[in-house]
Amino acid sequence: MEFMGYVRPDGSVGVRNHLLILSGTVYANGVVERVAQSIYGAVPITHALGRCQVVPDLRVTRRFLSGTGANPNIGAVIIIDHFKEEGCTAYDIAEDISPTGKLIATVNIRGEGGYISAIEKATRIAQDFARQISMYNREPVPVSRLLLGTECGTSDTTSGLASNPANGIAAEKIIALGGRTIMAECTEWMGCENWLTDNAATPEVAEAIVAGVQHMEARALASGEDIRGSQPTGDNIAGGLTTIEEKSMGACKKIGSSPIVEYLDIAVPPTRTAPGNYVMYGPGMGAESISSMAAAGCQVLTFCTGGGHTSNHPIMPTIKVTGNRQSYELMKDTVDVDVSGVFFDEITLDEAGQIVFDEVLRVSNGYLTKSEALKDNNSFAIHRVGPSI
Amino acid sequence: MKKVFVIDAADNVGTAVVAAIQKGEQIGTNGRITDVEVTANADIPYGHKIALADIPAGSTVMKYGLSIGTASADIKAGDHVHVHNVESNRGRGDLIEKTQVAAE
Repeated sequence: MEFMGYVRPDGSVGVRNHLLILSGTVYANGVVERVAQSIYGAVPITHALGRCQVVPDLRVTRRFLSGTGANPNIGAVIIIDHFKEEGCTAYDIAEDISPTGKLIATVNIRGEGGYISAIEKATRIAQDFARQISMYNREPVPVSRLLLGTECGTSDTTSGLASNPANGIAAEKIIALGGRTIMAECTEWMGCENWLTDNAATPEVAEAIVAGVQHMEARALASGEDIRGSQPTGDNIAGGLTTIEEKSMGACKKIGSSPIVEYLDIAVPPTRTAPGNYVMYGPGMGAESISSMAAAGCQVLTFCTGGGHTSNHPIMPTIKVTGNRQSYELMKDTVDVDVSGVFFDEITLDEAGQIVFDEVLRVSNGYLTKSEALKDNNSFAIHRVGPSI
Repeated sequence: MKKVFVIDAADNVGTAVVAAIQKGEQIGTNGRITDVEVTANADIPYGHKIALADIPAGSTVMKYGLSIGTASADIKAGDHVHVHNVESNRGRGDLIEKTQVAAE
C-alpha cells in the first residue's frame, strides 16, 4: 500500500512540505515571528530555552531543535539566533541538520548588524526558500516509510476502551505494512512493564524499559512526588479505575500488540528500520512528549483523548481521536475522529481501528487536520530537568 | 437492554461506559464479548466495572485480556468490581512502604 509523500534528498519521506523558521534561543523569538508572518506558508517555532541551561539540558534542547529541523516534513529551514550561544548555536543546529541535504540557512542577529537587518536577511532567504520548495511534488511511497507518533492525553473512562485500542489496531495495520510507531510517556508504562517487556524484541529492550520507568520514578521521588505510591489517584478510583495495572494498560493499548523493536532516549530517532513499535523515554507532559516524537522523525501523530483536546504540533499533523461522544460534540472543531460508536453497537472495535488507520493515511496524503486548518500551533515544548543557571 | 463494554474476549469484567447501572437491572455486553447477561447486584457508577462471572477470592480479575489484580473477596457475577474486592499485584506504594519499614 502506498501514500503520496515528499521524498527528501536523504531518502526520508515527509507528509508535509513546511518552510520552518526556527528559533535557536529565546532571544530570537521576535525575529522568528516577524519573518514567518511575512512569508507564505512559513511555520515559526519559538521556545523559552537555549540560554543559561545546565549542560545536560542544553544537549536535550539542541536535540529537540535539530531533530525538529531534520524532520522530513520540513522542506527548508532557517535557524535564527541572537548571539554565539554555548553549545546550541544556529550554526550547531544547522550542522546537525545538514546530513538531510535539505535547504538550510542560519541568521545571527548580532552578526547581521542588528534586529532589523536580521529580519531583512532572513525574510529574503525565506522568500527564496518558500518558492524553491513550492516546486517539490508528492510521489507514491510505501506505507512502510511512515513513523507514526502515538500519544494520549486528557484520558477518561472511554480512552482505554475505545480511542486507545482503536489506535492500537491502526498501529498494528501500519506495522503489518512495514511501518513503525513511537510511544513515549514512560510514566504511563508504570504498572504494565510486564506486558511491555513481554512484547520486547530482545532482553536488552526489556531491561531498558524497566530501567526507564525506574529512572523517571526516581526523578519524581527526588522532587518529593511519589507517583507510584499514589497511583491510581483518588480521581481515578472515583472514575472506576481500580489498580495501576488497569490504568497503565489503558494507555499502552494505543500501540497494539506488535513487538517493541528499540528503546530510545528522549528525542532520539530510531536507529533501526524494522517494522514494529519503538518506545521512548520521556515525561507525561503532552507537548514535550509529542515534540520529542517529532524531533525523532515522526511525520504524523495520533492523539487519543477522552476529554477532547486542542493539542497540535507545528510541523507534525496531530490527529485527535476520541471515544467520548460528548467530548466530540463539544470539541469537534479540533477533534478529528469519533470512535464512540463502539459503545452503542454502531461500529465494532476493528472498524474503529480501520477508521483511525484511514485517517492516518488520508492526513499523510495531505488532508489537513482540523487544527492544521485553524493554523493552531500550540504544542512545541522542550523537555528540561535542571534549573536555569 | 443496557450494555457494558468488554475490551477482550478473555475478560471477566465489563465497564459501564454508556450509563450508570441500577441494582437489579439486567445487563448485556458489547465489544469483544456480546453474549453474556448478568443481573446487577449493586448500583454500578458510570465508568465502573461489573463481574461477568463468579471470581472466587484469590483468582485473577481480567481486563484487556490481562490481570488487573486479584480478587480479595469472593466476587459473584453481577457484583460491582472495584477497590473493595480487588487488590493490585503491582506497584502498591502502601505495601512497599510497609515492607521497607519492616526491613528497617
